[in-house]
Amino acid sequence: MDVDLRPVKKLRESAAARSALGPIMEAVCASPADLARLRVVCDWIQYKQNFREPVVSRPVAHTDNTGTDVEIAFDLRRCTDIDLTAHVKQALQEQPGLALEPWVPGRDSCVWRFNQLYWQALSHWEAATGREYEQSLPGGESDARNTEAARELILELFWIWDELDARRALPEELYVLELGVGNGNQARTWLDEFVQLDRRHGREYYHRLRYLMGDYSPHVLERAHRAVAHHADRVSALVVEATRPSVTLGFLAGKAFLVYISNVYDNLPTDELACIHGRTYQVETQAFLTEDDAARIAARFGAGREDLVKLIDRLLRIGPDLLSESSPGQFADPGQAVEFWRATWEALRLRERYAPLQGLDSYQITPSLTGEILRPLVEGHGDVRMHVSNGALGSFTGTLPLLHPFGRIQCHDLFLTRRHQYRTGFYGPGKYDGSVVNWVNGPLLQLVASRRGFGVEYTPFRQRPGSNITTMTAQARD
Amino acid sequence: MEPKDTVLLPTTVVGSYSVPEWLERLKTEYYQRRISAQHLAEIHEVAIKAAVKDQELAGIDIVSDGELRRDNDVDYFLARIPGVHIPQRAKTDYFDYYETEVTRPLPEGPETSLGLAEDFLFTRQLTQKPIKFSFTGPFSLSRRIRDDAYKEPGELVRALARRLNTEARQLAEAGAGLLQIDEPFLAGYPEQVELAVEAVNIVTEDVPVTWALHVCYGNRYARPSWEGHYDFLFPAVKAARVDQVVLEFARKGLDDLRLIRQHGWDKWLGLGVIDVKNPEIEAAELVASRIRRALEYVPADRLMINPDCGLRHLAPEVARQKLRAMVAGVALVRAELPGGETP
Repeated sequence: MDVDLRPVKKLRESAAARSALGPIMEAVCASPADLARLRVVCDWIQYKQNFREPVVSRPVAHTDNTGTDVEIAFDLRRCTDIDLTAHVKQALQEQPGLALEPWVPGRDSCVWRFNQLYWQALSHWEAATGREYEQSLPGGESDARNTEAARELILELFWIWDELDARRALPEELYVLELGVGNGNQARTWLDEFVQLDRRHGREYYHRLRYLMGDYSPHVLERAHRAVAHHADRVSALVVEATRPSVTLGFLAGKAFLVYISNVYDNLPTDELACIHGRTYQVETQAFLTEDDAARIAARFGAGREDLVKLIDRLLRIGPDLLSESSPGQFADPGQAVEFWRATWEALRLRERYAPLQGLDSYQITPSLTGEILRPLVEGHGDVRMHVSNGALGSFTGTLPLLHPFGRIQCHDLFLTRRHQYRTGFYGPGKYDGSVVNWVNGPLLQLVASRRGFGVEYTPFRQRPGSNITTMTAQARD
Repeated sequence: MEPKDTVLLPTTVVGSYSVPEWLERLKTEYYQRRISAQHLAEIHEVAIKAAVKDQELAGIDIVSDGELRRDNDVDYFLARIPGVHIPQRAKTDYFDYYETEVTRPLPEGPETSLGLAEDFLFTRQLTQKPIKFSFTGPFSLSRRIRDDAYKEPGELVRALARRLNTEARQLAEAGAGLLQIDEPFLAGYPEQVELAVEAVNIVTEDVPVTWALHVCYGNRYARPSWEGHYDFLFPAVKAARVDQVVLEFARKGLDDLRLIRQHGWDKWLGLGVIDVKNPEIEAAELVASRIRRALEYVPADRLMINPDCGLRHLAPEVARQKLRAMVAGVALVRAELPGGETP
């Protein structure tokens, strides 16, 4: 039997975590599972809102018809005051509940449709909860408005532009792109500072500046655009599909001197891959509601249990406005439909299983990137499970070609910066209010960038010491 | 072999050919000691045969070996030049550059060879077509060396040029007829163009072949390393003892053609008509329109047609299709010119 205790820091810090280990082993050994084919994994899930029960099991399928092993996973944070024996027994049984989808790779799960709906109908969600989405972020605000940081970046740009100008290589239009614009505070701080520094610098770069704001959510974009109304002739707002920026921004290829991204990547769809005993697996997921939750939600909104799947799919397709319009009997107004949405989201769970991969090159990370790139991260380092960060990689690799040869990407987000971290912690998925959060596989972005001639550096987010946010900078090397 | 001995608007390549993903992986595995040098050498030979065949099938008039033995545009040469020290020869990825240094003046003389003539002879036995053989020029090579040996930076460039001159003589003796000096770094240092031209003239001195000089804006990882215009190249390049300049126009546009007329460039022009940084296949008519525009500035008997730069970063099928599109575009224009029908 393999036992994988990941939250090593918590094990040192938390007596409760340590004290759970004995009962966990007692419960596992008391179960009817074949212990020789059992993996025990312990995490500490820091997200109070997440997709897991305290104890879950995950089948590990084999390619050689030698049957199925089982991984049983514990959230140590929630294991101290529950009947572990009962939970283990239940986890090892056939999983009941109302499945909302077939088994799919993580990035294709309907949790991402919920996530998409959150950004599309954000104003409804905010009205229902009475708070803006930034308040649901760790620390209660986006990590991106600091005059000193803006000044530093702008002065570096001025230096580059002066150099290029001296050799007649400075383009007429100077592009800066912000992806994930929040409420527009970052853009406003940056542009206000730019005006002041440009005045002092005396080269009139402001008149050549083109500041592009890109966001997936028209609602967010509109709000941000209002915040920079006094720079209206320099600013354009564009709806951008974050995972495929080149669709909207292809015209910018080779032109962007700065791409600024804040709190976007951790909110994009991702798969997870695992290496277990030298074999590579894809983590497949299935969203479901427990029987109790399904019954409760069905009763509350006057639906039959069997109708819930269709109703949820309908909500995700047409949003709360149209759902209430088309089903006034069940949802008297959009607010009712939002309540249905919130109740479902809160109850939403994911179960998982490991499906063997036929080879890394047969796995497509993005349409233009095969899993071959993962080989140095996945192979030769023992058992590991990691995010592939497909959406973040799609966005990142789509953004790199936008950079001017002297351009850079600066990105504030939740990044793992070392591969080893996957063996010592839990990095998602969790729930932020109505959206999904997964930490981003930083070493993978570093590797992909390196194969494209870019260097990637990770540094702590200077503007808020102690924050989990990391600053990534990518720029051409050689 | 003179370009004019072939056909009107002869087609050629700049040098490098598509490096398939599997070959990249094998090259990297060599650095991780998973395959031997001997096996990699055999793999390279097979890949070169395929590259030459691809060019022939596409209808290219003057072919190359695809530079498939070379990890990148610099290391193949620096690793062979006596006196260039490479402290760390392991690489994470084959395409990475070595860190190199010279601590003493480079030893000079014809005693040692970089092996380029052998590379040429290998290609010679594969094809009846004329061959273009390219190597990176002394200025660009010098940019990747930490120089602790020479008091004046130009001295390193000149020393490298003398080494390459020795190599060029051996190539000429081996039968090479068209040699090309690549200066991919020059656009980043426009103020040093006189030094680069001086070094080019050292390389070409007393080597009786047709000489081409390729200057682009960089193609590392299929991205330009610099931006700007070819203004910096003129008039200095007129002093270069070469027979043609090979420039990129497809990606950058044809505006810089004005420089040819403005500075009275009266030698050959290698016209870049294929964008090697974009996988989209050009239509033959687009290629033809670029050539027609160039004919407003350069007569047909001084125009050679090539991609903007090497095809290294394009997928194999894309490279093949781009070459076919280039040949088809040339055929359209040839048919419009007196005596220019494709043979």
